[in-house]
Amino acid sequence: MSEIQAMTHRRQSVPSRRDSHRRMTQSSRLPIATPARRNKPRLKLTRWIGLTLFGLWILIAIVGPWLAPYPMGAFVSDEIYGGASVAHWLGTDYMGRDMLSRILTGARYTVGLAVVAALLSSLVGAGFGMLAVLLPHWLEEGIRRIFDTLISIPSKMMALVMVSAFGASIPLLILAAVLSYAPGAFRIAHSLATNLATLEYVQVAKTRGEGRFYIAAVEILPNMIQSVLTDMGMRFVFIVLLLSGMSFLGLGVQPPAADLGSLVRENIGGLSDGALAVIAPALAIGTLTIGANLLIDSLSNSRDTQKE
Amino acid sequence: MTHNRYGDDGFVSPEQSLQVYRAMQGGLSRRQALKMLAAAGIVAAGSTGLVPGISRSWAGENSQQGTPKRGGRIRMAAHSSSSSESLDPAKGSTAIDYVRAYTFYNGLTRFNEQLEPQPALAESFESPDNGGHWVFTLREGVTFHDGKSLTPQDVIYSIMRHKDPAVGSKVKSMVDQVADIRALDDRRVEFELSSPNIELPSILAVSHLVIVPDGTTDFSKGIGTGPFKCEQFSPGVRSIAVRNENYWREGYPYLDAIEMVGISDESARVNALLSGDVHMINNLTGRNADRIKQSESSRVKATNSGNYTDLIMRVDQQPGSRPEFVEAMKYLLDREQIKRVALRGYGEIANDQPIAPSSPYHFSGLPQREYDPERAVSLLKKAGVSGARVSVVVSPAANYSMEMGQLLQQSAAQAGLTINLNRVPADGYWSNHWMKHPLGFGNINPRPTANILLSQFFASDAPWNESGWKNEQFDQLLVASRNEPDEATRKQMYADMQTLIHDESGIGIPVFLSDVEGYDARIGGMDRTIPLGAFMGYMCAENIWWNA
Amino acid sequence: MSKLVLGRLSSSLLTLFLVSLVIFAITSLLPGDTAQQILGQFATPEQLAALRVEMGLDQPALWRYWHWLSGFVTGDLGMSASNGMPVAQLMNDRLPNSLLLAAITTAISVPVALTMGLVAAMRRGGNVDRALNVVTLSMVAVPEFLVATIAVLIFAVHLGWLPALSYVSTVESFGDFMRIYAMPVLTLCCVLIAQMARMTRAALIDQLDSAYVEMARLKGVPPMRRVLRHALPNAVGPIANAVALSLSYLLGGVIIVETIFNYPGIASLMVDAVSNRDLALVQACAMLFCGAYLILVMAADLCAILSNPRLRNR
Repeated sequence: MSEIQAMTHRRQSVPSRRDSHRRMTQSSRLPIATPARRNKPRLKLTRWIGLTLFGLWILIAIVGPWLAPYPMGAFVSDEIYGGASVAHWLGTDYMGRDMLSRILTGARYTVGLAVVAALLSSLVGAGFGMLAVLLPHWLEEGIRRIFDTLISIPSKMMALVMVSAFGASIPLLILAAVLSYAPGAFRIAHSLATNLATLEYVQVAKTRGEGRFYIAAVEILPNMIQSVLTDMGMRFVFIVLLLSGMSFLGLGVQPPAADLGSLVRENIGGLSDGALAVIAPALAIGTLTIGANLLIDSLSNSRDTQKE
Repeated sequence: MTHNRYGDDGFVSPEQSLQVYRAMQGGLSRRQALKMLAAAGIVAAGSTGLVPGISRSWAGENSQQGTPKRGGRIRMAAHSSSSSESLDPAKGSTAIDYVRAYTFYNGLTRFNEQLEPQPALAESFESPDNGGHWVFTLREGVTFHDGKSLTPQDVIYSIMRHKDPAVGSKVKSMVDQVADIRALDDRRVEFELSSPNIELPSILAVSHLVIVPDGTTDFSKGIGTGPFKCEQFSPGVRSIAVRNENYWREGYPYLDAIEMVGISDESARVNALLSGDVHMINNLTGRNADRIKQSESSRVKATNSGNYTDLIMRVDQQPGSRPEFVEAMKYLLDREQIKRVALRGYGEIANDQPIAPSSPYHFSGLPQREYDPERAVSLLKKAGVSGARVSVVVSPAANYSMEMGQLLQQSAAQAGLTINLNRVPADGYWSNHWMKHPLGFGNINPRPTANILLSQFFASDAPWNESGWKNEQFDQLLVASRNEPDEATRKQMYADMQTLIHDESGIGIPVFLSDVEGYDARIGGMDRTIPLGAFMGYMCAENIWWNA
Repeated sequence: MSKLVLGRLSSSLLTLFLVSLVIFAITSLLPGDTAQQILGQFATPEQLAALRVEMGLDQPALWRYWHWLSGFVTGDLGMSASNGMPVAQLMNDRLPNSLLLAAITTAISVPVALTMGLVAAMRRGGNVDRALNVVTLSMVAVPEFLVATIAVLIFAVHLGWLPALSYVSTVESFGDFMRIYAMPVLTLCCVLIAQMARMTRAALIDQLDSAYVEMARLKGVPPMRRVLRHALPNAVGPIANAVALSLSYLLGGVIIVETIFNYPGIASLMVDAVSNRDLALVQACAMLFCGAYLILVMAADLCAILSNPRLRNR
């Protein structure tokens, strides 16, 4: 699991640097001097916040289980929804288990699954979205029909049929998330690419006889990267939130383990007392998703700073 | 529980009527029964019923919580509601269906606080031959909401339709024992059973067997004889019941109207009660019950009705086929901890047998099985599975099974047994998972009588023999108990059966779950308890009032 | 243009057909059937068999699909297998509620989101941009059920300003209307605004970065005009698609809001229908959601084409 996270983390940062490079070469083809950007330090601040938050969660996902003071399933206290104490920094949950241990152990599922599923959704969605505009019309139409059909199947139905056909497993959970969220990514990417495909330089590249993958990667992607990355950031948030619903249907994470969303859900009864057991995992989700999105924003914005 | 207020009415106390009823069940003739009553100093005054007094005994049913008031409109929220729900009583499957059945309809009999059948639409009932035939005499002057009078034909139709598979009745198996129903005259109907059953009047009190007008196929209007008429019914959304001014029970109901909705999310249900948007809610966990207790305006009530969630160990599959393994698992159930942690105290410790302490047949002499990991270790070793890894299926469908599973997981680890929990969706649980895994959980709702419970879940040929447990001695006892005239002997038979289940079956019952409900402090009459479930055994509609 | 719309309509019909086929296949694959759901936990095999015959569930799957399809194309949605009521009536009771909730949410969330996105793109990198960024992200990062429950706790339980449950039937005045819809709409806006605002910002920035907008900047076109006249027309396609995607969530995806506020909408009808394996009802709801989605994306594509003349020749 930790390997996957490390890998996905790498993967996330790599394409953007490459993109910004291509973007430079492309804009350098144009005889326009790029004006200097303002607010350079602020962008850096955003990036640092994003990097810190997201990096922290990646770290917790990797080493969290070893840091946990108690086993995540152990009933360690008679007090339910206990407040912060020396023994239980984040209090106790609805059955008297240590909340800190549950978050440290559960983060692995949320971070790992959501990163992989969000990347896959965007890769599949944006990849097909770009390619579709370069394919013959009938094929483009076919791909659109398939994605439109996929998005129209209720995710609960899809999850139920998957769990009954294949049983519960982590890869299946990822597949369910990708099937639910790739069609949306496709829609967005396809509409962006449709616009770009009509522009001169794409037409020129086509007449030059460039390959489809080349055009997609070099001429189209750099000009829509901001939107694609932003979309991926949103999908990341949605997938983090989706996991708890999927777990509830029995797809994936099995008790006593729980992903962050499920931790919020199972302790919702403590909300009226302001229990840490519900606030802490909600904050965890907040910092994780905001961190990830700030990082993505700053990555796509980094082109501007490099342009100077 | 309150009773003993029979002095006001001068009729028979519940205890006395119970005594007489049981005596009748035990084979006393009507004359002997009357003698008993006379000995108890009760004057029988010109009743045509089986036992004078029983038919008129509303004794013990008055609440001590102030005087009933007429008027008011309340809103109830049950824990589940679905677009599939219907006002057809035969299809009732959750609390809201049962409540609606008792709101719009009446049965021939109805349960009192001791779960004894009391006369309702039948003003009396008797069996001339110890349960082979039963004659019910209908109350005079009862009309349906549409003005039609109650006739024997309505009774025949209402009961016999359950035998038709197309109706999709939930109680078909119970009604199948009714061979025929005949109208003796325009007030009396005779039931002929395929084999004698002294408990028929109890069976006829369940909410599925209420009386509908002859020939009804469209139930959307909810036409019955009940205390309320159906003003609006929208499946999965809500129903509105308004007072039936022509109700046959003088002075009832108290309320003007009851609106019923379903709120499946527990927090939302509790918040709706606390904000005053609804006035009664059911199916609470102990955590939320404590929250409601803190509120000035709301009350909590817990009813022990014999509902239980059980660990199922199939004795016809590995590893449950090793008796020592099954016994070890029973010792690994930390009942105190389950009651304290999972139920927050809202339950009763059980002893691996299904008859709750509230039942007259509960065998209290059975030694309580305690949490004993050391004993479990040696048993597991004997079974040859020490250090093994087993998988247990849990689901939100079986109440508290997720919590119990996690607690069992922890205590099993103490004995060196690794348990993997396999959570499956509530969707389709009962048809696809329940009883189909070597180790899993079930949830059994209370049955009207101990005999029905044992016949349905523990007899060797029972349709829902959860653990696949087959025991000839148990089967013989079960059959014999149905006709055993001597009460003491019958009690002994039930005790023996409970011991057999406790010792040998593949079912571990750690606790009986309380039905926990919350209600607005302004609702009166809630101190009465009919131990069938929440909402006063689903019969609250005509028995509660609004103090505002 | 009309040819394009016609083409889109016919391919939409194809999608609807595909969806109905897939839904049917899934319903057949799901364990358990209507008869089992009706009889519940304590069904015996004989009861099941008899009820299946009665309901026609013993017929071959393809025949049942054909039976449904032939009814559907003639406008007959069939009967709900689980409660015997006509599907059309069940949907009719709830669809207006869902549409009303969707309309109010749209009327509030779309202008707010577009404005936020536009402002953020114009003030890119500035304090306003960053503030909007964190606000929208925080809104969407809180699970929907938590937002709804917190709102109920504050506004209904503690303050007593708003009802905890949203009964459509109790609306008597405009004030009632506001009180009833305040919390459901607030919850839904939290979910929707973030995605639409962020996608608006991103799509605009992609355009602002493009060569021709920079050309316009060099020519001395003022910033406002640059955004509205040069960047926006090309960004309309993706923005409209993001909006369409978000809005398509408003019919079938609002199950949590419907559950917590006890709002009688169409999403819970669908969820019940899936649990009950009520094929006719599942299909009708799925057709409705899919149809709504297709209309929304078609509208989005039309917006894109109208705003970008180059697309017309494709």
